[in-house]
Amino acid sequence: MSPREWLSLVLLIAGAGFYLAGTMGMLRFPDVFCRLHALTKADNLGLLLICSGLAVLAASWQTTALLGIIWLLGLIAASVSAHLIARHALREQQSTRSQSTNIR
Amino acid sequence: MSLAVDLLIAAALIGLAVQVVVGGVLFRAIVLFIVFGLTMALAWARLAAPDLAMAEAAIGAGLTGALMLVAYRRLIEINPDKPARTERRRSVLALPVAILASALVAMIGLAAIGLEPAPGFAGRAVMDELDQTGLGNPITGVLLVFRNLDTLLEIAVLLAAFAAARAVTVPGASPLPLSNRSQSPLVGALLAIIVPMTVLVAAHLLRAGGHAPGGAFQAGAVLAASGVLLALTGKLVPSAETGLLLRLGLLAGLVGFSLVGLIVTGFGLPLLAMPGIWAIYAIETAMMLSIAVALLLLFTGSAGLRRGAD
Repeated sequence: MSPREWLSLVLLIAGAGFYLAGTMGMLRFPDVFCRLHALTKADNLGLLLICSGLAVLAASWQTTALLGIIWLLGLIAASVSAHLIARHALREQQSTRSQSTNIR
Repeated sequence: MSLAVDLLIAAALIGLAVQVVVGGVLFRAIVLFIVFGLTMALAWARLAAPDLAMAEAAIGAGLTGALMLVAYRRLIEINPDKPARTERRRSVLALPVAILASALVAMIGLAAIGLEPAPGFAGRAVMDELDQTGLGNPITGVLLVFRNLDTLLEIAVLLAAFAAARAVTVPGASPLPLSNRSQSPLVGALLAIIVPMTVLVAAHLLRAGGHAPGGAFQAGAVLAASGVLLALTGKLVPSAETGLLLRLGLLAGLVGFSLVGLIVTGFGLPLLAMPGIWAIYAIETAMMLSIAVALLLLFTGSAGLRRGAD
């Protein structure tokens, strides 16, 4: 294997590692906020590493630019949806809390 | 190595399908169905059918998934006390039917593996004749030149589906308010980036359809998806009236296709013959608009759409 392929392999495996860790975090962490915390790491860095690995393998500027756009779009979508889920979870928490204090 | 990937995809598909049907929790089944659609798209991509893969990801997983999630929310709103569990009364016939169906599929698959395409095979004929159409993509060739009556009828079916959905919707029932009560400022920023991007992608898919994977169905589904995003964030609000623009959009594909198909008969060409590559692109554009509008209105379940308050 050429050095380029080695570099790509290392990047891809590192990216897969982030995805694995993120998935395990989502399955094992106790509440919504911890799970989001684990998941966004996979989305941000895992996707970046996999896109870089593929870009190194493709060795073409056009493909690299496309992969960059894919990463950016994934980043934007993931961060906004994580924000919305966290906001929703926070509001649910607050409303159940205020309800329970009312009952007391 | 690639066999391992294929086997993994096949095993995942069967596992997901079983989970979707057998699982008792409705929400879980919906999410797994979306994952099933995405895995199916991977399977199509592995089978060297990128057109089908894109259509499956956009319509099978994306739009159908969004539709089911909205229906699920509606179910909770109608009946908030009852947890959304499907009843677990499984018929005694379920297992024998499943085994018989699997055996049938396996037999057909085994028979198909050893099959050599016949000399008069339609696929060969398409590849031989493709050069005359000026198209590079055999899928678009089949859809718009060789078997375009089927495509015309598909567009008609989509219009009929919209009419049928209108017919079963209770008149006077308030259309589902899709948007949340308060907006996060981030949502507007997201839309400002995503919506122009999806329009660009749809235009690219439409143009690429002539020589590479893509075409009206994929482009229409992508456009509809950005409409779904606008409807979910309250930028588009369901309304009881179908506006003029939406009517034009709904009819553009069917009317445009039929008109071109009829007009060419006046020039001595057979019915529905394509007079040139420009006609194919014009019809594809009209079909893209019709597909996008019909899918979006099927999603919102309303007669029309208007601009949201903010």
